[in-house]
Amino acid sequence: MTKQYTVPQLLYERAEAMDPNRAAIREKAYGVWQTWSWYAYRQHMEWAGLGLSAQGMKRGQPVALVLDNHAEWLFSQMAVQAMGGVPVNLFTSSTAEELVSVIHRLKAPYAFVQDQEQVDKLLEGCEKIPFLRKIIYIDPTGMKGYENHPLLISFKDLLKAGERTGVENPDLFLRELKKGRPGDTAVMMLTSGTTGIPKLAVLTHRNFTAMGKQWTDALGIRPDDNWLSMAPPAWIVDQMWGFGVAVHSGMIMNFPEMPDTVLPDFREIGPSVIITSSRFWEDLASRIRVRMSDAGWMKRRLYDWSVGIGKEVAERTAAKKEVSTALRLSGKIASWLIFRPLLDRVGCARFREAYTGGHPISPDVILFFRSIGLNLKQCYGLTETCGIFQVQPDGEVKLETVGRPLPGTQVRVADDQEILVKSDANFAGYYQDYKATEGAFADGWLKTGDAGYIDGDGHLLIIGRKEEIIRNKKGDAFSPDFIETRLKFSPYIKEAVIFGEGKTFMTAMINIDQDNVGNWAEERKIPYTTYMDLSQQPAVERLILSDVTKVNEQLPPYMKIAKFILLYKLLDADDEELTRTGKVRRRFVYGLYLNLIEGMYDGLGEIAVRGKIKYRDGRVGRIETTVRVIDVIGPDVTKTAGSTPSAGEPALGAVS
Amino acid sequence: MKAYRGEPTIFRNRPAERNRAELEVRDVTLTFGGVVALKDMNLQVHSGELVAVIGPNGAGKTSLMNCITGYYRPQTGKILFNGHDITKMATHDLVKIGLGRTFQNIELFPGMTVLSNMLLARHIHMKYSLGWACLFSRSVRKQEVSHRRVVEELIDFLEMQPIRKTPVGSLPYGFMKRVELGRALAMEPSLLVLDEPFAGMNLEEKEDMVRFLVELNRVWGQTMILVEHDMSIVMSIAKRVVVLNFGEKLTEGTAQEVQGHPEVIKAYLGDEDG
Repeated sequence: MTKQYTVPQLLYERAEAMDPNRAAIREKAYGVWQTWSWYAYRQHMEWAGLGLSAQGMKRGQPVALVLDNHAEWLFSQMAVQAMGGVPVNLFTSSTAEELVSVIHRLKAPYAFVQDQEQVDKLLEGCEKIPFLRKIIYIDPTGMKGYENHPLLISFKDLLKAGERTGVENPDLFLRELKKGRPGDTAVMMLTSGTTGIPKLAVLTHRNFTAMGKQWTDALGIRPDDNWLSMAPPAWIVDQMWGFGVAVHSGMIMNFPEMPDTVLPDFREIGPSVIITSSRFWEDLASRIRVRMSDAGWMKRRLYDWSVGIGKEVAERTAAKKEVSTALRLSGKIASWLIFRPLLDRVGCARFREAYTGGHPISPDVILFFRSIGLNLKQCYGLTETCGIFQVQPDGEVKLETVGRPLPGTQVRVADDQEILVKSDANFAGYYQDYKATEGAFADGWLKTGDAGYIDGDGHLLIIGRKEEIIRNKKGDAFSPDFIETRLKFSPYIKEAVIFGEGKTFMTAMINIDQDNVGNWAEERKIPYTTYMDLSQQPAVERLILSDVTKVNEQLPPYMKIAKFILLYKLLDADDEELTRTGKVRRRFVYGLYLNLIEGMYDGLGEIAVRGKIKYRDGRVGRIETTVRVIDVIGPDVTKTAGSTPSAGEPALGAVS
Repeated sequence: MKAYRGEPTIFRNRPAERNRAELEVRDVTLTFGGVVALKDMNLQVHSGELVAVIGPNGAGKTSLMNCITGYYRPQTGKILFNGHDITKMATHDLVKIGLGRTFQNIELFPGMTVLSNMLLARHIHMKYSLGWACLFSRSVRKQEVSHRRVVEELIDFLEMQPIRKTPVGSLPYGFMKRVELGRALAMEPSLLVLDEPFAGMNLEEKEDMVRFLVELNRVWGQTMILVEHDMSIVMSIAKRVVVLNFGEKLTEGTAQEVQGHPEVIKAYLGDEDG
């Protein structure tokens, strides 16, 4: 039986086994890619760990990490784990109250934070967290005035202290490292609280090492493969990759210079695998399509021709139909002439596999990217399963499914359509929440909370969040997600929320995409000022109406959208309308905009709005405006009782 | 957000003498034909200060800056900088003794990238000859790398990484002003003259610029003279404020003192009778 390790133990072994000069981590700074070798990675972990020990850290203590995607995130988290602590990653975009409340709940005595902004947030609430002993900050910019503050120490100083401790006490680090067991807690992750209070999911070292092995085996990841770390450390994806896959396979973790330079950095690194949110792909698809519509006549003709060819090839391959030689040849020409340069432009040329996860995505987006030659596939996973466990294997890509489970993972669907998982990567439970932990498992199977079904090819299809499946007045079940993802394929729609529970018809609240609609308006010489103004322009209403009508054509009669409004402001996490991961807080939004929703169902043509908005400095302002309700007219769009779904619809129709 | 660990060596490693910036403007009078732009102007700036020069339009602020930075020659009076008499010094000699400035109308090469513009500003610190440069010898390369490093640190400090390879001409105005500041800083001036650095910026851009100037002055001790119209900015960042009106110094003092001065209010808002 192969030896089981904790994550830092595995890193230690890797560093010993690999050529010490081989790159482990790269980060772009000052315009050049700076490299850390495996030796340096291990050394930094050791120094940071000893530094923490010098500060008095004890085994089992929680440590908060409020960090961005930099090498120090890996060093800090590894160090905490090596010394037996429990790291908890938080979003750097959190407010001061959010950070303080989590640290208070954990009673964490130490916190690693990125920069002055995060330090200030913690210092602001420091009376509420008196047990916080030390805040370690990575970026010293602006910290000159804080010198000699008893709570603060820079990461550089922590490393120096660690180095000194290592000289005085040469066995200390290895001794502590060896005490770790695979069943120990590796990390605690906040799960996105779309409903109620966010919970802390406890993931063990075994979860990560198992995940790492499953992915490495499934994709054949090699040590010279590259991963670009863009997703926040508080999300499971980069955790799974950085602490699971990268350590297991020996591949390189790359960090971009800053969020605004991600695309050029992308191009320079040319990562081979990527897993990112559906929003990323939706935005990229929108951007490409909008830019192509601006291109010259010749380019546009070539592009349209190529996309047509690509689409046919992709559709035929997916349906396992034969692709004629002529078509195949045209496909190769299209690829050489248009697709390769296009993909190179957006940094996607070297992807062997590209995944979209985190949220259901419109099949049109997948088809678009597959048509232009990017191997984009769906995947699925949760924080509680230590990340992604469902992937579509190459050669078996079907647009609506999320593929098969990874080797080592079992998946089945319960009688009430809930998806269940069994794997070594499944988490240990929720922190200090016995009831929720009990509720998460059924006979050793983890309940995902999502409804789905498995098709004839063994592929899993997701219908939507089990608790979000709602029924209209007639009792037909539907998932609002299903409709919303299709709406978001339009480059002009950034977010959409569907309502219809217990009603006779569907309505939608839509956020327009400010950049794309703005460009569209400018091209047509339509003047506008703010987002609010743009969203209420009649021409924009007509634009969105045509996209909504198009989506309606893909929907069964009882799901067609009958009316919609364009919201005067973007839904925002700071206003608590979205979670930090960008998911809509459905219940909250429903309550907040109740008068708008009721107005639509009451048959109003215009609804007066008096709302509150929060400015960036925290002040609350009032806005007064009117929002128009737009009627959607089309075949089968009824504003009365819905009809039964036609046969052949996915399990939504199979209402028990 | 700073991409890297935020301690530009350009500031950290500056020797103390380079930080010395003692400016004295003594009885300077500047006329253009019949127009008196400056009359018996006296001004002192000491090392590490951030002095703001304010006044209504036409008060002579830019003329004063132009005198200090060698664009105009005053008819009478003296200007002394760190002991040197710079009254009649040419601009290209002034930068060598540590005087730098930004211009109200951006003076950058619009066709060149941000990086190139700032590297160009390093020329006064380049110590190789044309001959060796053509051969791109090892010592030349070494110098080029060190200059590039300095410029990259400034780009990082001013948070311009995403635009480092963008031609300046295609940047939004707010960013152009930031590049202008970067260019001036690349020369490592002891005294930095800023001519209306906030003009034409929106609130967010102003906030960013204020942040940089405050950090430059308060943390790194950069001596600055700031010509500005926006009162709220001046009041919040300047240690000392000098008010000009019709080419003469009206008053000077701290921001509080100046704000309440009746003459200043009269100059800006006009007389109750007039």
